[in-house]
Amino acid sequence: MKAIKYLSIFVLSLMATSCMNDFNEPNFNEPPFGNSGIGEANTTIAELKAKYSSTISAGGVQEITSNIIIEGVVVANDESGNVYKQIIINDATGAIIIGINDVGLYAIAPKGQRVRIDCKGLHIGGYGKMAQIGALYNGKVGRMNKYVFPSHVRLIDLPNPTQPEMTPDTINASFFTDANMNALAKYVRLEGVEITEADGTATWAPEELQNSSNVVERHIKMGSTNIVLRMSTYADFANEAMPDGKLNINGVMTRYNNYWQFVISNTTDIEKAGK
Amino acid sequence: MIKLTKFATLLLLGFVSTANAQEVTALYSMNGQGNNGMIKEQPARTLYADTLLNNINEVENIIILDDNNESYTFSEGQLGEDEDFSGTTAMISSNDDYFLSETGYRFSSMRFRIRAYESLYNNVYANGVLLNDAERGQFSYGMIGGLNDATRNKEGATYLEHNSFGLGSIGGASNINLRASQYAAGHKASLVGCNRNYLARIMYTGSTGLMQNGWAFTGSASYRWANEGVIEGTFYNSFAYFLAAEKKINDSHSISIATWGSPTERAQQGAATEEAYWLAGSHYYNPNWGYQQGKKRNARVVNSYEPSLVITWDYNINDKMKLTTSFFGKYSMYSTSALGWNGNAADPRPNYYQNLPSAAYDVWDLEYTPTEDELNDFFARYNYWTASKANRQLNWDYMYYANQQANATGGECLYYVERRHNDQLTFNLGSTLNIDFNRYNKGTVGLQLGTTKGMHYKTMDDLLGANKYTDIDKFSVGDFGINSDYVQNDIDNPNRQIKKGDVFGYDYDIHVNKATLYYQHLFSKDIFNIFWSAHVEGTTMERYGHMRNGRAMEFSKGSSGTAGFLGAGTKFGITLPFNAYNTFSFGWGYENRAPIAYNSFIAPRMRNDFVRGLSNEDVLNAEISYRLNVGPVTAKVSGYGTLIKNSVEQNAFYNDQQSQFTYLTMTGVNKLHYGIEAAIVYNITSSLSVNAIASVGDAEYTNNANGFLISENEKVVINDKVYMKGVKLDGTPLTALSLGADYNIKGWYLSANVNYYDRIYIDASKYARLASVVGNPVIDATTGEERLDIPTQYKGKGGFIVDASIGKSISLRGGKKLNINLSLSNILNNQNMITGGYEQNRDDSYADGSERTYKFSKNPYLYYANAFNFYLNIGFRF
Repeated sequence: MKAIKYLSIFVLSLMATSCMNDFNEPNFNEPPFGNSGIGEANTTIAELKAKYSSTISAGGVQEITSNIIIEGVVVANDESGNVYKQIIINDATGAIIIGINDVGLYAIAPKGQRVRIDCKGLHIGGYGKMAQIGALYNGKVGRMNKYVFPSHVRLIDLPNPTQPEMTPDTINASFFTDANMNALAKYVRLEGVEITEADGTATWAPEELQNSSNVVERHIKMGSTNIVLRMSTYADFANEAMPDGKLNINGVMTRYNNYWQFVISNTTDIEKAGK
Repeated sequence: MIKLTKFATLLLLGFVSTANAQEVTALYSMNGQGNNGMIKEQPARTLYADTLLNNINEVENIIILDDNNESYTFSEGQLGEDEDFSGTTAMISSNDDYFLSETGYRFSSMRFRIRAYESLYNNVYANGVLLNDAERGQFSYGMIGGLNDATRNKEGATYLEHNSFGLGSIGGASNINLRASQYAAGHKASLVGCNRNYLARIMYTGSTGLMQNGWAFTGSASYRWANEGVIEGTFYNSFAYFLAAEKKINDSHSISIATWGSPTERAQQGAATEEAYWLAGSHYYNPNWGYQQGKKRNARVVNSYEPSLVITWDYNINDKMKLTTSFFGKYSMYSTSALGWNGNAADPRPNYYQNLPSAAYDVWDLEYTPTEDELNDFFARYNYWTASKANRQLNWDYMYYANQQANATGGECLYYVERRHNDQLTFNLGSTLNIDFNRYNKGTVGLQLGTTKGMHYKTMDDLLGANKYTDIDKFSVGDFGINSDYVQNDIDNPNRQIKKGDVFGYDYDIHVNKATLYYQHLFSKDIFNIFWSAHVEGTTMERYGHMRNGRAMEFSKGSSGTAGFLGAGTKFGITLPFNAYNTFSFGWGYENRAPIAYNSFIAPRMRNDFVRGLSNEDVLNAEISYRLNVGPVTAKVSGYGTLIKNSVEQNAFYNDQQSQFTYLTMTGVNKLHYGIEAAIVYNITSSLSVNAIASVGDAEYTNNANGFLISENEKVVINDKVYMKGVKLDGTPLTALSLGADYNIKGWYLSANVNYYDRIYIDASKYARLASVVGNPVIDATTGEERLDIPTQYKGKGGFIVDASIGKSISLRGGKKLNINLSLSNILNNQNMITGGYEQNRDDSYADGSERTYKFSKNPYLYYANAFNFYLNIGFRF
C-alpha cells in the first residue's frame, strides 16, 4: 500500500506540469519586415520618372545615387499569380513597378499597403521603355535580390483599400497619347470595355495558347487603340472563363516599347458595366 | 571581380568537398547506450531490452520524414512523418543468443535493424495478445514510452524458435508480461540525467508482490523532460503511468488487469541537405524551429497518448494444459503539427531549395563560370544564411504579420499550423492453449482476433492570427478555377470556413479486421529438437470517407467496399547436436501475408480506391546456423536468406514539377535479404570477457515495380514502371561489426566497445526512378552504349563508433541497493556518419525538359547519428 501512496504523490506532483507549446499572437509595434529607419518621402513618383526619363525611354539602366525616397500605395501584387515578382505602387502623381526577385510578396505588400522605398543604391531603368525600380541584371534593369529588398522598404500603417491612392483615374480613348505613354505606369479604370476574345466560355490563359513566357495575350480595344492584356497561365484564374460583355476594370496601364499593356492583378478588379 | 570569383570558387569547392566528405570515410558515433543502473542485476537477455527501450524512446524522436511540403512517405525507410517509428526489430530476445541480445542496443545509435527487416515483420505481444498496429503492421514503441521498469519483463523468440505466447514473423516475436504478481515486491526509484532528446527522467515503480490474500498490485510512473533537447529547438514533455492488479482466485484461475499510457508532447528534428548543414556549420541543424518574439518555436510538435488496457485470464486446466486469454483495448491519439501555407504565399521553410546558394547557379558543374549576377546572388544567399542563426530558421513573426496584413484587407490566411491526426481504436483478443503432450512433445494453439478503426484527418492547430481560411485545395485552383467544384475538399460543404480545431482537408477511417489461428509444435530431446508451425489468417479492410472530395466526387465519401485476404504460413526448424560442443540448426519458412492497409489504398486522403491488383505478399525464409560451446568460448554463426515477393508500397510527396501533392504506389515489389550474422564471446576470467559481433548482409529490391501515380488535384491514375532493381533497403547499416570487452569486479562493472558501420543507404526516390522521369536511354560517354539514366542511390560510407559505460552497485543496510551507471556514447565525437535520409522526389529538369539550376538529385536529405553524449542513471531500490 506504500506503493500506492508513493505513486499518488508522484502522479499528483506531475499533474502540475503544463504544456510546453503555448504561443500567443504577437502585436507588432513595428512591422517585422523592412527598414524602419527610412524617413519621409522627398520625391514623387512622377518626379522620379522625370528625373530618369531619358534612361527609361532609352531602355537603359542607371543606379540611383542620390537620397531619393518615394512613397506610394500598393495597387498590384502577386496575390493571384498573374503579376509575378513585382509590386506596383501608386501615389497622387503616378505609378511605378518595383521588381523584386521573390514570391509571395503580397504577404507584406497587400493591396492598399502604404510603402516607402529608399531608392538610393537601387537601379532604375526602362524594361521595354517601361519604368522599373530594381537592380542591374545582365546590363538592363532587373529585379532586386530578395535579401536586398527589406533594407529599402518601409511598411507604413496597416493596409487600407479605401485611401485616395487606391482610386484609379477613369480614362477614355483620348488617353492614348505619346506624352501619357512616356509617363507610365498609371493606375486607371477602364469603363464599358470588352475583352476581344471573351465569349463567355473562353478562359483567361489556357496552357495550349501560351507563349514562351507562359503568357496568353488578350485584348481590349478603346477607340483605335489596341491594348494587350498579358495573362499568365500561372494565375489562379487562368482557367476561369473571361467575362463577356461590357466591363469596368481597374488595373495598371503599362507599356512594352510602343504597345499599351494593361495589368490586371486579380479578377476582383473586374465588374460588369452598367450595374 | 577576379578576387570574388576566386573566393566563391574556394567556398564552392569547400562545399562540394564537404558534400562529398560524407561519401568519404567518416568516423562514427554511438548514441544510445541507456544502460540502466539496474540492468546488470537482470539476466542478460532482459537487460538489453530495457536499454533498448531507452534507446527507442530516444530514437522515436528522430523521425525520418520526407519533409517536402506536406509530404510524407509510407515506405519503410521513411516511415513515420506522422508516426513514431523505431527502426529496430531487435526487440526479439532469444534464449542465450548473444547476437540478438547484444545488437539491439549496441547498434541502436545507427538505428540498426536486424537483417534490415522492416518492423512490421516483428510481432509484439502483451500477456499473449498482439499489440502491433493493424494498419501499419508494426508495434509503436511510443505506446510504452517511459515505462521501462513496467515493461521490462519479457520473453522473445526468433522466427524459427518455439514460443508459448504467439506467432512470430521473420523478425521474431516478443511477449511483455504485465501481470502484477510478476513484479518483484518493493520500490524502485531512479533518476536519469543525459543530453539527448530529453535531459532528465524520474521514475518510480512499486509492487506489492503476490500477497497472502491472492492480490498483487504494481504501479509505475515516470516523467521525461527537456526544455530544449540536445537538438536545437526541440523539447520533450512526457508523463507515463502504469497500473496493474492481479487476483489469484485459486490454483487454476487468475485474473489480471493492466492499464497504462504515456501522454507526450515533443518537438521534432528535421533532416536537411548537406548544403544547409554546411551553411549552418553543423550536422545537427534543425530547420523545424524559428523565433517568435525571440522565443524558439518548433513547427513540428507531436502529441501522443495511447491509453491501453490488457485484461488477462490465466487458466491452468491441469498439469498438462494451460490456457491464457487476454483482451487488449486501446484508444490512441497521435498527431503531428506542420506548417501550411495557403494561396500563393511563399514557402516559409528556411531550407526551401530556392533559398539556397546552390540555386543561384549550377555549383556542381565545376567547369561552369558563373556570371557576375549569379555570383552576387550566390553571395547574397550565402551571406544571409550565415549572417545570423535567425536567418536560417523559420520566421514566425513574419508569418503572423502576413496574416495580420491579410486580415486588414479581408484576405485569406497565408500561413497556418495544421495538425495531422492518426487516431486508432483497437480491440484485440488473444487466446493461447499450451499443451505438454508428453516428455518430448509440446504444442501451442493460438487464436488472435482483432478489429481496428484508424481515424485520419487534419485539424487547424493554429491560424497564426488569421481570420479566414477556406477549405479548398490550393493546388487545384490554378487548374480548374476557384469556382470549380474540383477545388473543394468537401463538396458537400463547399468553401467551408475553418477555425481553430476544425477538421479540414481530409477525413477518413480505415477499418481492419484480422483473425489468425496457429499451431506450433516442439519435439525436443536433450539438445536435439524439431520445431514446426502452421497458421491461417484472414484480413479485411475498408476505407470509409467522411468528405466528398471534389477531385473524386464519386468515390471519396462513404465506403470503399471491403477487401478480404486469406493468408497462411508454415515453418520448421531443426537443431542437431553433433556432440556436446557443436550444434547445427536449419530452418525454413513460408508466409503468404495480406498487404498492410496503410499501403492498400491509392491516394487515401481523397479516394476510396484500392490499389489495382492488390494481393498478398509471399515471404520465404531459410537460415542455417552453427553454434560452438567449448569451455570459455561461445560462438554462433548464421546465414540467412529472405525473399519477399509481390509486396505493395506507397509513397506520398509534394511534386514540385506539377505543384501537386502526389501519391506513388508500387505493386509487384520483390526484395531479397541475405547475409551472415556471427557472435563470439570469450570469458578470459570470471570477471573479464571479450566479444565480437558481425552482421554483414544485403537487402535490396530485385525487380522493377509497377507504379501508380496520382496527384491530389487530378482524377486520373497514371500507370508507370519504377526502376527499383538493385535499390537497397535504407536507414540501417548493412555492415555492422563490433569488438567489445566487459569487466566486473567488486560491484564495479565496466564495458567498452568499438563498432564499425558501413553501407548505410538512404531512401531512394521512387519518383526519380519512374520510367517517365528517367526518360529515354542516353549514350554512355565511356562505353558508347545506350543505357538508362537511373539515379544512383546515395550511400553513406563506413565509420567507427566507440562507447563505454561504467557502473557501480552498492548494497546498503536493510537490503536497500544503490546503482549508478554512466554511459558514454560516441566518445570519438564523430559527427559525420549518416543514419539515413531520403532523396528528393523531384526532377532536375522542368516539365519542358530544360535543366533546373538547383540539382535535386545531388541534394538528398540526411540524418546524422548523435554526437558525443552521456546517460547517467542513479537507481535506488528500497
